Amino acid sequence: MNAIYLDHAATTPLRAEVREAMIPLLDGRFGNPSSSHRFGREARAALEEARERAADALGASRHEIVFTCAGTEADNLAVLGRWRARGDGPVVCSAVEHKAVLKAAARAHAEGAPLIVLGVDGEGRVDPAALDDVLRGGPSVVSVLWGNNEVGTLQPVQEIAERCTGAGVIFHSDAVQAFGKVRVRVDETPCDLLSLSAHKFGGPKGIGLLFVRDGVALEPLSHGGGQEHGLRPGTESVAMAAGLATAIEIAAAAQESECSRLGALRDRLERALVLAVPGLVVNAGGAPRLPHILNVSIPAVDQEALLVALDLEGVAVSVASACQSGAAEPSHVLTAMGRILEHGAAIRLSVGWTSTESEIDHAAAVIPAIAGRVGART
Amino acid sequence: MKRETVLVAMSGGVDSSVAAALLVEQGHAVIGVTMKTFCYSGTPAPSRTCCGLEGIADARRVADRLGIPHYVFDMESAFTRDVVTDFVEEYAAGRTPNPCVRCNSNTKIPDLLRRGLAFGAETIATGHYARIRRERDGVRLLRGRDPAKDQSYFLWGVPAPVAERLRFPVGELTKPEVRDLARKLGLSTAEKPESQEICFVPDGDYAGFLAGRLGVDHAALRPGRIVRSDGTDVGAHDGFARYTVGQRRRLGGGFAEPLYVLEIRPSTREVVVGAQAELAADAVEVGELNWMSAPPAEGEAVHLQYRYRTPAAPARVEALDREAIRLRFDAPQRAVTPGQSGVVYRGDEMVGGGRIRRSGRLAGEPVSSASPQKSRIGG
Repeated sequence: MNAIYLDHAATTPLRAEVREAMIPLLDGRFGNPSSSHRFGREARAALEEARERAADALGASRHEIVFTCAGTEADNLAVLGRWRARGDGPVVCSAVEHKAVLKAAARAHAEGAPLIVLGVDGEGRVDPAALDDVLRGGPSVVSVLWGNNEVGTLQPVQEIAERCTGAGVIFHSDAVQAFGKVRVRVDETPCDLLSLSAHKFGGPKGIGLLFVRDGVALEPLSHGGGQEHGLRPGTESVAMAAGLATAIEIAAAAQESECSRLGALRDRLERALVLAVPGLVVNAGGAPRLPHILNVSIPAVDQEALLVALDLEGVAVSVASACQSGAAEPSHVLTAMGRILEHGAAIRLSVGWTSTESEIDHAAAVIPAIAGRVGART
Repeated sequence: MKRETVLVAMSGGVDSSVAAALLVEQGHAVIGVTMKTFCYSGTPAPSRTCCGLEGIADARRVADRLGIPHYVFDMESAFTRDVVTDFVEEYAAGRTPNPCVRCNSNTKIPDLLRRGLAFGAETIATGHYARIRRERDGVRLLRGRDPAKDQSYFLWGVPAPVAERLRFPVGELTKPEVRDLARKLGLSTAEKPESQEICFVPDGDYAGFLAGRLGVDHAALRPGRIVRSDGTDVGAHDGFARYTVGQRRRLGGGFAEPLYVLEIRPSTREVVVGAQAELAADAVEVGELNWMSAPPAEGEAVHLQYRYRTPAAPARVEALDREAIRLRFDAPQRAVTPGQSGVVYRGDEMVGGGRIRRSGRLAGEPVSSASPQKSRIGG
């Protein structure tokens, strides 16, 4: 069997329909959407059509969608942009946020924002009741991710959003992993800011979006022309926006069926690994999880050696977010959950729209054998 | 040649880049690895040495070019424990360590081998200028073909069973040949300059590094006296860790003859100085031994290299036991520095070595009982 890709949480293959939607805009309709001539108008029409389609998929209005270059930029614009617009009140986020939120919050802290980091339980969940005290302090923004990118834990976003809204506090959620896997709609969940990234659901890399609810003030991170309501100046990438729009429509339409299909594949892999790998622990196994993510700890196995051995066998998985140099660092998520092993490996396996049952069965056979071999040597 | 799965340690320098390329050319299954040994996030200027982030990026570029997988292994905790701590302790004790020896013997090579076996790599390759020759009774480790680049001196601590699994693809080449090959192969590291400094002290400021580890008030960094060997006080110094045997700098001036550091006495914080003639050592005692092949016999004539850039000196083995060896030089040698590696050669063959405990006009007693400190090998 060829290489098996079990790292869809890192990125997903581009869908053919998305590619088809992008090509005409790369080839022919090359105009600058800010130009008033016909070339510009054509491009602007395509851009605004993409914005409308993205808004529809999320239950938002067209003018509430800001295209960004990635989920990271959307997170930064939400957290840092919110702090800079408000200028006071603590920045609040959970300990298991994506680095984009954690580092943006740290930056706001360096600029004078009090920083409150919400702890999580052993499954990686924030306790919404613990928010009440925090909300009385008048935060500038509360940011809690929808579903965790490393272990998959789903946060009680509905309850958190309602508490924030009830207290008149701006709430941001990073839904980069969650969108297309669970139901994410801003007309059902009262969040003020929401980040997405196209390449996590079959779209191209290099484009994401931030939903900004009408009336929420943000300070842009960069300055220039007035594009994207002045929040994200710079000539828009129309082809990318069209790619995002096509991908988001497909993902939204297929969400329910994909949720059960991916969940079944994940559970099949999980059952097989639990049976075949001695001492294996499923991280966040006791919490509601995203259907596509499986994070397991294997005691007494060298993590780096395991990752290399799996790669050499053609099974692509990931460990804790790679640091700048590429060497594995202890995961801040597992650390916050109190699940770091002194000697052992934690790997994330994630399925996606191209995953098949036969791939899962092959991986389920290969991984225990390799873990056994690596474990015996380390 | 048998096709092997080889793990090649790629520092991002030209030597290990070419080592990897040669192995690929020979048809082996090559896996590139860069070891992250030291965290530079705390250093103000980004490191430009081979072990820094730039080294990792360069190694990746070369691996991509060669079409081989490449991984980064985090060895920071083992490196700090085995290499950095030892480096600091040695300076604090008035000696001058070779951290690269420690790294090769304790961290880099054995650790890579252990990890490599976990995923089926039987052998380890590095970019060292040294050669391995297989013989019926084991392997011999020889000097690299290029006398100007030979690095066998840094490999004395590698356990002999490990050496059987080592490959040094550039050992048969000269440095100019290695650069030529790198250019021909279009490797991005072809023109990269040599790394000169110790990787974890990229700015070369050892005293500053030691102050960060030991604290500025540590005895090794506090002022003390500079004395002649007869006890005459000739001045003050700003911390004995800034001195090494044979050094002429930082001693002040105004003397009738040039003065050199003869000895460092940590207990009194004195730096003992004297004329060049007083630097001469008739004999040397080397401890923490490791033998690559059969140890020399008492009375055997060998060569001892006691400094990387100094040619090996003819010497005769005077006394030897499991712990230490004493050799008497055929002619007195200059600045034989405690803490440096003393490496025994038979012709081109690196037989083994250890750390220099002391040197001078050593009397003829048995070695171990006379040793001023316990062997710390394996510690």
